[in-house]
Amino acid sequence: MSFVVGFLAAVTFALLAPALQLMARARGWSLGAVTLLAIAAILTHGLGVMLGILVVPQFQYWDAASIFGFCVMGYVFAFGAVYKSVSLDILLSLIDRPGRRAPLSEIVERQVPDLFQGRIRNLVDGGLVEPVDSHFAATSAGRTMAGRVGQLRRAFGIGDTSLYDFSE
Amino acid sequence: MNMLPGPAQAAAIGLSVALPLLLLCYARIAATGGSGRRFRLGCITVLALYAIACLALPGQRRYDDVLGGLFLLATAMMFFYILFSLLAWGFTLTLLTALVKAGRPLTLEQWAVAYMQGGDLGTFTHNRLKLLVGAGMVITADGRLAPTAKGVAVARLVKFVRLSTGLG
Repeated sequence: MSFVVGFLAAVTFALLAPALQLMARARGWSLGAVTLLAIAAILTHGLGVMLGILVVPQFQYWDAASIFGFCVMGYVFAFGAVYKSVSLDILLSLIDRPGRRAPLSEIVERQVPDLFQGRIRNLVDGGLVEPVDSHFAATSAGRTMAGRVGQLRRAFGIGDTSLYDFSE
Repeated sequence: MNMLPGPAQAAAIGLSVALPLLLLCYARIAATGGSGRRFRLGCITVLALYAIACLALPGQRRYDDVLGGLFLLATAMMFFYILFSLLAWGFTLTLLTALVKAGRPLTLEQWAVAYMQGGDLGTFTHNRLKLLVGAGMVITADGRLAPTAKGVAVARLVKFVRLSTGLG
């Protein structure tokens, strides 16, 4: 029964999370997509625990938490996969074109530079990069974050190209 | 309410904490290969250790305890994969680290060259396209790209996930 309570909490999360994303866009909230997911997860987990205490005589917290965590993380995983994927953006742009075909040169010369500029806007909006005349420079917050990312990459033996290694 | 995890669940919680530590250790062993392969190896190791724990722990195993433990382990794997993939293949993060590494303000074009470490956005595009082509989602012919039936199905799924998660 505790698993059922955890699953119900996860279903509530799957309803609340998109509702929060839509409300944030409609009302111009400054909260990021990931923050909204975290808020939805905390709220629904709390609700699930309260429901479990009220309706299950021998409520097993970890049974409920395990299935809740699994379903919520599966949701976040799917969300992350489609949120800002360059590969999927290319695929979707092909599907939306008449005849579902595009010259490779157009993807290289127009779509990817557009994606590139979009990500730069995200960095500027996030206060990590600032435009200086016709140049871009990292802010002190940007330098701090880049330093931490570099430390983590070195610790985990991860390269700094962000390219997929197909030889693995 | 019982807040104590069962024996198998406790083992899964311990192994979830151990997963990033295991990845740190594997990063120091050259034979473990690249980032993706190392992560898979880490997951296989913790799953194997969980199976051993389920067999070796004293007392009779309860089905709900083992199932809950599996859910907890899968949750941890997805969580760390999200963080690991951001570090390894994150486009925006790598843009930031490339700018900081350059050590001076860059124009958009210079930034693209710094990001690609001497290459250009075409190299990046081909890397991302290789993923789509390798997965059988896109075919290239005469310098044009077209989605396969699988690509169209994936694109529809992506649109559905975006819609149902509130991304539009």
